[in-house]
Amino acid sequence: MSANRWFATGNYFTTYREEQRIFSTHLDRLVFCLFLTAFFVWPFFIDLSTKYMLVLDNILIAVIAVYGLNLVLGFGGLISVGHAAFVGVGAYTVASLAGVIGEQHMLITHGWPLMIIGAGLMGAIFGLIVGLPALRLRHLYLLMATLSFQMIFEWTIGFLNFFNQGQFIYVGRVHWLTGEVGRNEHYLFWYYVLLVTVVICGFGVRNLLRTRYGRSLVAVRDNDRAADAMGMHPGLAKVFAFGLAGFFAGIAGAMQAYLDRGAGFETFTLHESIQYLAMTIVGGMGQLTGCFFGPAAIEILDLQMEHLAEWAGHILPSALDLATGLRPLSFGLVIVLFLMFEPRGIANWWRILRTYLKLWPFRY
Amino acid sequence: MPNLKVSDVTLTFGGLHALSGVNMDVKAGLITSIIGPNGAGKTSLLNCISGFYHPTSGEIHYNGQRLTKSSPHQVSKIGIARAFQNLELFRGLSVLDNLMLARHQNLSYGLLHALAFFGKASRVEAENREHVEKIIDFMELEAYRKQTVGNLSYGVQKSVEVARALTLAPQMILLDEPMAGMNIEEKEDMVRFIFDIKNEWEITVILVEHDLGVVMDISDQIYVLDFGEVIGSGDAEQVASNPKVIEAYIGEE
Repeated sequence: MSANRWFATGNYFTTYREEQRIFSTHLDRLVFCLFLTAFFVWPFFIDLSTKYMLVLDNILIAVIAVYGLNLVLGFGGLISVGHAAFVGVGAYTVASLAGVIGEQHMLITHGWPLMIIGAGLMGAIFGLIVGLPALRLRHLYLLMATLSFQMIFEWTIGFLNFFNQGQFIYVGRVHWLTGEVGRNEHYLFWYYVLLVTVVICGFGVRNLLRTRYGRSLVAVRDNDRAADAMGMHPGLAKVFAFGLAGFFAGIAGAMQAYLDRGAGFETFTLHESIQYLAMTIVGGMGQLTGCFFGPAAIEILDLQMEHLAEWAGHILPSALDLATGLRPLSFGLVIVLFLMFEPRGIANWWRILRTYLKLWPFRY
Repeated sequence: MPNLKVSDVTLTFGGLHALSGVNMDVKAGLITSIIGPNGAGKTSLLNCISGFYHPTSGEIHYNGQRLTKSSPHQVSKIGIARAFQNLELFRGLSVLDNLMLARHQNLSYGLLHALAFFGKASRVEAENREHVEKIIDFMELEAYRKQTVGNLSYGVQKSVEVARALTLAPQMILLDEPMAGMNIEEKEDMVRFIFDIKNEWEITVILVEHDLGVVMDISDQIYVLDFGEVIGSGDAEQVASNPKVIEAYIGEE
């Protein structure tokens, strides 16, 4: 190993374990840690309005959900249009339990970390079951299978009394070391919880991708015949991918339920599924960094479209329909444009920027 | 000694007989070649052995173990590796990752270890990396280690295909036209590799190849297929003088 682990510019590995490192120099790691610290520290200096705090929280929830979708779609090459339903499974695990044992029960208010993990496991179970058709189906047919799960979910929630027929089921406020988290700190509190979860899950996914589990997903995407000959069960890998996707979606859903202080069925419709797809595609399929760029880009786009629609409503009060149609239109447009001009998503711009900056100011 | 016994294997697709009553006995430690005109059923036979197809009738045994109904990942666990004719590599991955994928069964850590990448996972990955590096060294792929397979030239991809099969640490390796589309130098290299696989690594080789010169030179045992039937077998001289084989290749006078 080179003497200088701060500014090493080449490959100085002497053991294979050194090569496994995520950060090849201390400088890389320092920059990453500073970047992360900034995310934790800024709320002490800047006072963001509740509206924008909510947007931030929603972005982080979407990041966790998109981890799952990216594993299935980007790395596993299996299309899923039922992702919002998996998120819904997580949310309704918390919400329906709150409905049964009471929204102020200790388990809900104090045991929320357990509830979140439990919701993740519930999502994973549903993921494994819905993934079963992936043993036989591919491409368009798999899309239909996952779509049918989305439909079954919506109808089940909408018609069963147990789920309050899709109307809002309340979840109590959570408790932290300092007591109940009040109205004022609610969004800030969940911002921190979400941030920690995003970081932990992010490292989990990163690690998974450099081990046999992640590699088997990519193998199945690239060539499942060869994957079979290499001694892995392609069907198992596919079902496993769906299980993982369900797990991350379940966690995201549980946190959504806590953040919204309850669950209603309109948060988990097909429209949201398409939104998750858009986030994955825009962020960059098969790229971990895409999981961060996609949700941020789409949520901000959504916010801007809302402003635009409001503005349009003021100027042309008669064209209210046009204004409401702007949001779905913008999604569709963004997906199509990205698939046409940058199928590797924003993550690719990030990659290009990084390689450019590495050599800057030299050209080659 | 391990050996492979194909007895009376018939494979039909509807009315088409891809293989009919094929008998084959592959002895351990030798290079056994399967030759025959296009469409003779060579690849079908390999597919039957490696479990992609299941014979309509007949049996395949390896060391007394029945392979007839096994799936490909079971066959690869028993110790029979396969290199494909039409490059079935993982195109989006680097050469290194392609080979690491072949170590899948040997990576014996659990999901939790993998999530944390701590202790066992890290150690096992490093150990297997070392094994992969041996294969890279043997197949002379050092220069391409970190390159994406899809971007490599055809000849190199063929080598990666063979290397990947070797990485499985098999007792027997099935090579489906490893020299197709290669120039003379690449062919010479490949022949050297095949000899080393047999002699140094002591792996039994089953070779499907169209280049008869190469086949006659390096094979210990040759089977000739035509229209799904074995029309001749034996060593190079016996096969070359077999009138049926001459007829199949050159035609009647």
